[in-house]
Formats: sequence, C-alpha cells, structure tokens
Amino acid sequence: MRKRTVLVLALLWAGFYMFGQNKQLLYDFTEIPQSLMVNPGVRTDFKWYSGIPALSGISVQGGSSGLSVNDIFADDGLDINDKVRDRAILGMNPRDELSGTYQLELINFGFRGNDPDNFYSFGIYHEGDAIGYWFKDYAILAFEGNADRLNQRFDLAHLKTRGEMVNVFHFGINKRVNKKLTAGIRAKIYSSILDFNSTKNKGYFVTTPGQNNLLASTLDADMRLRTSGLEELGDAADDGNLAGTILKRGFFGGNLGLGADLGFTYQWNEQTVFTASLLDLGFIYHNNDVKNYTLKGNATVEGVEIILPDALSDPNRDFWQDLVDEVEAFVPFEDNTDAYIAFRPTKLYASLRYNFGEQVESRIDCDCEDIVSGGGYRTKYANGVGGQLYMINRPRGPQTALSAFYLRRFGNVMAVKATYTVDKFSLSNVGLGLNLQAGPVNLYFMADNLLAYRNAAASRYASFQLGLNIISWGRN
Amino acid sequence: MVCLVLAPTLSSCIEDQDFDQYDALALEPVMEASILYVEAPERIINLVTGGTNFFSQDFNFDAFSSNIFSERVIEGTVTYEVDNTTSKELEITVQFLDAGDNVLDTEMFTVQPATTPTLEREIFYGPGGRSIDIVRNTSSFRVSALNLGDNTSTSSLPDPMVTLKSSGKFRVRVK
Repeated sequence: MRKRTVLVLALLWAGFYMFGQNKQLLYDFTEIPQSLMVNPGVRTDFKWYSGIPALSGISVQGGSSGLSVNDIFADDGLDINDKVRDRAILGMNPRDELSGTYQLELINFGFRGNDPDNFYSFGIYHEGDAIGYWFKDYAILAFEGNADRLNQRFDLAHLKTRGEMVNVFHFGINKRVNKKLTAGIRAKIYSSILDFNSTKNKGYFVTTPGQNNLLASTLDADMRLRTSGLEELGDAADDGNLAGTILKRGFFGGNLGLGADLGFTYQWNEQTVFTASLLDLGFIYHNNDVKNYTLKGNATVEGVEIILPDALSDPNRDFWQDLVDEVEAFVPFEDNTDAYIAFRPTKLYASLRYNFGEQVESRIDCDCEDIVSGGGYRTKYANGVGGQLYMINRPRGPQTALSAFYLRRFGNVMAVKATYTVDKFSLSNVGLGLNLQAGPVNLYFMADNLLAYRNAAASRYASFQLGLNIISWGRN
Repeated sequence: MVCLVLAPTLSSCIEDQDFDQYDALALEPVMEASILYVEAPERIINLVTGGTNFFSQDFNFDAFSSNIFSERVIEGTVTYEVDNTTSKELEITVQFLDAGDNVLDTEMFTVQPATTPTLEREIFYGPGGRSIDIVRNTSSFRVSALNLGDNTSTSSLPDPMVTLKSSGKFRVRVK
C-alpha cells in the first residue's frame, strides 16, 4: 500500500511539476530529423535517418507559471509561512498552472521512397503529459480554514487537473506536392499506460449564518475524477512488478487511441517560407482498468439538531449517525468503472521565416535535382529569421506562445537557432539550440529560458532537448 | 559552440536556498461549524410534571473523537447561545462525555424568564484555557434541562421555547 501511495503521489507530483510542451527550438529546425515530429510537413533532404534507440529524442520541460523555488525557499530571513501565504496561497490565481511534459523516443526511422518526393518516417515514443491548475480555494481552506469567512464560497472548480503516460506508435508520410508546397501527415496509435483527469468540477463550500443553529455549512458539489491504469500500476508497485506492467500497458496492454499530425511547408517566394502543423489530433478510449470517482449533490448541515418533542420519540436514536447518513445520502461519494474518452492535448504550430545570406550547398545526392534546387526553392540559406506561434488546448482554454527566432547555418556542419519566447510563464525566455553534423552522426542539444540560469532557483521554467541520429543524404 | 550552449546550464547560479524552512511551515487552518442545536417548546416543558428535570438525554457525537480530528486539534473555542422566550427560569446543562460516559466537562446556563437577552458564552480549550484533551476525548454530549419555574404559566411571546445553539472553532494541525 505504501508503494501504491508513493506511486500515486509521484505521478501527481510529476504532473504538477512538469511544464508546457512548446518546442519552439526544434520546430522547423530542418537539419534535425525530429523536426518531423513537430511538423510532418517539414521540408527534408535526408535520404534516410535512424535515431539511436532511446537516445534520438529526449526532452524534459518543467516549471510553474506563478511560483518558483526561490520564492519560497530563498534564504532571505523571512518566515516561510508568510511567504507561502503571500506568494502562493494569495499570490497565485486559479489560472496559474504547474504543467509539462517529457518525451523519450524509443525508435525513430525515416527513409525516402522510390519516388523521391516522398519521405516516410515511423517510430515509437514514450510521453508523459500533465497539468494542474492552482487550486486556490482548496489551498485557502487547507492553510487558513473557513473560520471568520462567513458567506465566502470556496470554489470547487479550482481543482482542475489532467495527466497521462502513453506510448505512441506512429507512421508519417511527407510529400513534396510541388515546388512550393510540402505536406505531411502522421498517423498515430496511442497505447495508454495511465490516465487521470478531473477537469469538469463544479460547486462550492460555504459557511453561512444558520437558520436554527449559529452556522450552516453547505456543500454543493458536482465533481468527477476519472482514472485508468492506476489500480493496475498500484498493484504492480505493491508486487514489485511496476516496470513489467508499464511495459505491458505501453505495448497495447492498456487502453488504445487514434490520432494524427498534419503539417505543411509553403514556399511563399524565393526566400520566405510559411509553415504550420497540428499535432495530436486524437483521442484515447479508456475501458481497461478504469476507476472513476464522483461526488455530486447538495447538503446543508447545522450540526446535530434535537427538536422536542420529536427527539423524545426514540431514546436510542443516534442523531450524529443520522446526520452523517443524511449528508452521505445528499452528497454521495461513489465510484464506477464506466469507460470514457480522453482527448489528447492538441498543439498548433505556425511559422514565417525569411532566409537570407549566402546559400549552403545541399548534401543530398540523388536523381532529384529538381527537389534539391529546382528554382532554388530547396537551397538552404545561411540565415533565417522569423516568428513562430504555438498554441495548445488546455482545460482552462488554449495557451499561446509567440517566438522570434534566428537560425544560423555554418556550412553543413553546424546550425544554431536562437529564440525569444513570450508566454504566460515568462517574458524573457531566451533559448538556444545547436545542431552538429559530424559525417553521418547528428547531435543536437537545446535549452530554454537561459537567462533564468543566473539564478536557477528563481526560474519558473526550464527545459532541454537532446538527441543523437545517424543521417544519410545518399552520398558515399 | 557546444560550450556556448552548455555554458549557461553548467555555470548557472543558484542563490542560497534553505530547504530546512520546510520544517517551520505550519499548516494549521481554523475550521468552524455548528455543533449542537436543542429546541424545547414551552408546551413540552409544561407537560412534564412530578419533577423539575424536563429533559435529559445523551447524544452521540463522533466528530471530536474521530482520529482525523482528535489527533490534529490544537486549540479551539466552543460558543453557546441560549434563548429563553418561555415564562420560566430554566437551567440548561451540557456535559462532555467520553466513550465510557465519564463526564469530562460541564457547562451550565441559568436563564431568566422572558423577556431576557440572549445568553452568550465562549469557552476556550487549549493553552491558557480548559484542557484540549476534553475535546479530543469527547464522544457524546449529555444535555439536561431543569424547569426552575412552574409548569402552568405560558409566555405571551409567540411560539415560546428555549433554544441552545452551539458552534466550534478549532485550529487543527494539517502539517
């Protein structure tokens, strides 16, 4: 049981401390094969590539929009209780979030078909994604209580969270439609390992002057928590078989879903490129190891009420138990195993890039001269500058980020991309991505919010991505 | 260039953090709610003859002795309000009983006949007050009412009755 509790707490903690999924550095970084994963319609010039299993794509992002470690634990001589009250309990609002993702590519392979206009890619990756909004009113209740807060409604909707762990099996086709347009689609099968979501909560708790007694406590609740996989994983943790169970559920032994990525690259003119992609347009149907919990109803209590002469009719009557039974009848806490559908957090990317400077020789070697340099459209320039848009659907509505970027290529050996991103979490997010090509070996590393490293504890956001691939352009 | 990218990460600074502060974090909310409400109409009081004790009964009350409360409560106040609109002087007694029906605490209210102001009383349990263990060990209440007047007269006020209201406000340690 202890392991089960630790597991659940660890998952919830991970959910609260992981962060958004914006991969603005990787997006449209065409030297890197994994750019296909954020836009299946990216313009590629590889003959084939193979990710090094489990090393080709690792990304972790974490942070919080309203609070940093430094806000609470700085050695500043202030009382931690004051800091928690002022900066967390009262300083954050219900739109503040703690959310994020991690991703680990297990297999990633791509190759150009007989028709050189077509590029195919497939693979498997493991992903965890979670978000938890600041449950402000619950925190006030836990930190200060309901005393001396007559008529103040504590909003139960402040509990809004979701998270999942999933393996994704994907196959993508990237097609050069014409000299201007490259489009792509990626089909996905999701194998859910675990899922939890509690995003449709409504109701309130309030203390008011009583009708008979001094105070009336009212609970009006319509709450729901849906889970899948937690029971089995909990049992596995107790039995010491957690890894095997994760593996089993991740390879079609859990719950399955379908989805797709769409994307394109459009050559506006000689030097201007527009791209967009829509990722994880899909759902997972949960009917295996489902456990849902509900709390729905309305009850007002004013303590144990003894009104004569009725109270004298049964001297053995247990008024306290009657009160408890009454509340449980009016606001039943129930569970069920009803199947449910969970939609994936869909992401939208778009970018406008202007290329300039000297042209970089293409590395591709095939009978596809037209693809490489037809009309000059596939020629890479040493410099690229532009803007990117990122949106993701979240339980409290879409989240948006805007980025400006500068991409610099140093021959075919190295490319660097710098971004400046503005979103709800930071107005000073500067990121840097590096791609190195040593013969067929491709290595990339990206880190975000670099200015925050002046005091990492004060950072509300940190992320990195790295990967190792073998790439061939068909040359010997 | 690798160094350029990695340098911010590797050379990042972290201002002094004191994670031992967590030990000083006190999650001690103050919760309040009603406890007990007793209502006795004058006509019922008048029905009881042959003695002055017109009402005495024990009422189970597990809220205080439940582990989630008794192990966490630090201090608190029980507030009483007694209203008497009957024509009699009354004595109301509330006793806190443990699981063995032993009396842990007694609170007595003597109220004059109507018209008389509401009798209000706050009893503090905890440091400087009565022992908080009284609250921790309470598993039921005994409420008794004595009629110190007659059982024939009636009040001229509408719907005459005696009521005992009570609520508790307790500080509990969550962390």
